[in-house]
Amino acid sequence: MSADEISEKIGSYIRERFLDGDLNRELEETSPLLEWGVLNSMNTALLLMFIRDELGVAVPPKGINAGNFRDIRSITQMVIELGRPQQATVAGRD
Amino acid sequence: MTLHRFVVDAAATAPDRPAVVGPSGSLTYRALDDRANALASGLRARGVGRGDRVVLWADKSPELVAAMQAVLRLGAAYVPADRAVPAARVAAMVRDCAARAVVTGAEAVPRLSDALPSGTHVLDLAAEFAPPAAPVDEAVTADALAYILYTSGSTGKPKGVRVSHGNATAFVDWAVAELRATPADRFANHAPLTFDLSVLDLYAAFASGASVHLVPNELAYAPRQLVDFLHEERISVWYSVPSALTLMMRDGGLLERPAPDGLRAILFAGEPFAVDHVRRLSGWTGARLLNLYGPTETNVCTFHEVEPADLRRDRPVPIGRATCGDRVWARRPDGSVAEPGEEGELLVDGPTVMLGYWGHPPHRGPYPTGDLVRVLPDGAFEYLGRRDHMVKVRGHRVELGEVEAVLATHPDVAEAVATVVGTGMESRLAAFVLPRPGREPGVLALKRHIARRLPRYMVVDEVHRVAHLPRTRNGKIDRSALAARAAGPTVPAT
Repeated sequence: MSADEISEKIGSYIRERFLDGDLNRELEETSPLLEWGVLNSMNTALLLMFIRDELGVAVPPKGINAGNFRDIRSITQMVIELGRPQQATVAGRD
Repeated sequence: MTLHRFVVDAAATAPDRPAVVGPSGSLTYRALDDRANALASGLRARGVGRGDRVVLWADKSPELVAAMQAVLRLGAAYVPADRAVPAARVAAMVRDCAARAVVTGAEAVPRLSDALPSGTHVLDLAAEFAPPAAPVDEAVTADALAYILYTSGSTGKPKGVRVSHGNATAFVDWAVAELRATPADRFANHAPLTFDLSVLDLYAAFASGASVHLVPNELAYAPRQLVDFLHEERISVWYSVPSALTLMMRDGGLLERPAPDGLRAILFAGEPFAVDHVRRLSGWTGARLLNLYGPTETNVCTFHEVEPADLRRDRPVPIGRATCGDRVWARRPDGSVAEPGEEGELLVDGPTVMLGYWGHPPHRGPYPTGDLVRVLPDGAFEYLGRRDHMVKVRGHRVELGEVEAVLATHPDVAEAVATVVGTGMESRLAAFVLPRPGREPGVLALKRHIARRLPRYMVVDEVHRVAHLPRTRNGKIDRSALAARAAGPTVPAT
């Protein structure tokens, strides 16, 4: 799956689940999701399940931090890194 | 005793034992002590001293815990802020409590500096300050302010609950004695450090020379990761809102693995715990199960240990009897004390009751909780509900009027109503918004608007734009009609 496809899937999920469809099309790839209250701890958990079930990537506890969940772009980057065949570089950056 | 003496003492007697364990590092008691001293010295050099406030705006980490200790050692009080809240919200807190300094991550320093009143120092949490010549350990009295926790008010402005060293240690001393905590214990810290549940995790661990293991806020409702955490960190004392435990049982496979050998106490507070879930938990582990109760203003003031008889009832387990040296009673509407079998509002008086709200006169006398209880035949209390519109969402209390007042300040909003739909794990904060003519405020814009002004847990989960707000015959907003609408399929914008 390409970065654009992953980003699109994650964006769609966030729009549908947390923004009632985002009818005004306000959400962008760089909208700060934690800061604007889109991802609270409960929604982050739901998103993690979506990433596991739909994108086949299990995010380890060390990957679950504010840096990786800042916006759609950083989440996409994390999913790509974790989805690589060798998972040596766990997305643990801040 | 003060909240920072626990660490000073443990560092003197067992310096190499682990004190705080985070996802990306840990500190021994010696390292925690050193780091707290160095930062205290850095803060002192910037004029922070006895009686001041310092806002701590950072993700949970051992370094953040060290910063809490640093502030206390100066005789000052810390004011925790979730790192995820916007800079504008932090600046509002700084102005409200007239904080002398903010300690935060390096990346936030430039963004914050512009928003703060002039003269407010901003320090990098990760900076290494030179150790002071002598340990920083201001003598403070039990009634000195230790921290301020901002909680929901009813006027559109959060209230700062002022908690003294004495308030907190009355509760911590009880917890250590009741749990018979030892240096071998491993406390989980699930709650955000902005939430009063975290006080037990941190300070009961420090008071007993044990370690506290931090769950990052982003992980707080990730069920499988929480279950892994419980096992991998070999937690002996777990404390959280029931929602987290429910989620771990339902989606995290908690009960499918044998209970960890070392797990000896599970504490829960903040909301009622459905008794069938307590039953399942009790069938899974031999650990003690304790239900703790108390609003932020009183810390923990009652508790109840789950016993076999509770599991045969179909009511949530009682909140129990007074503890921590408090006196607790139920007041009937006529002012008299409720007898067994009767109902009333729970009142609390004693050492754990807060100093007062920031910017308000000191609190005097018993604190009326606003919680309705029934007195059981044995004198324990059973929680029934609220007297007012205050609601709970996963243990956090929310004044709906505050959310409504903030939404109404958005330029595109004519009127707004907030309500909670669902219960327990499924509870969600929903807003119904009547736009001004010709305006169509977006969901993201409204969430952002709230996030800049209120604590994070008060950002609504759902926004429904409506063409009119239903009213009852006497003209009040029909909240039950709205709640029923939110409980159904999502309403498309009209």
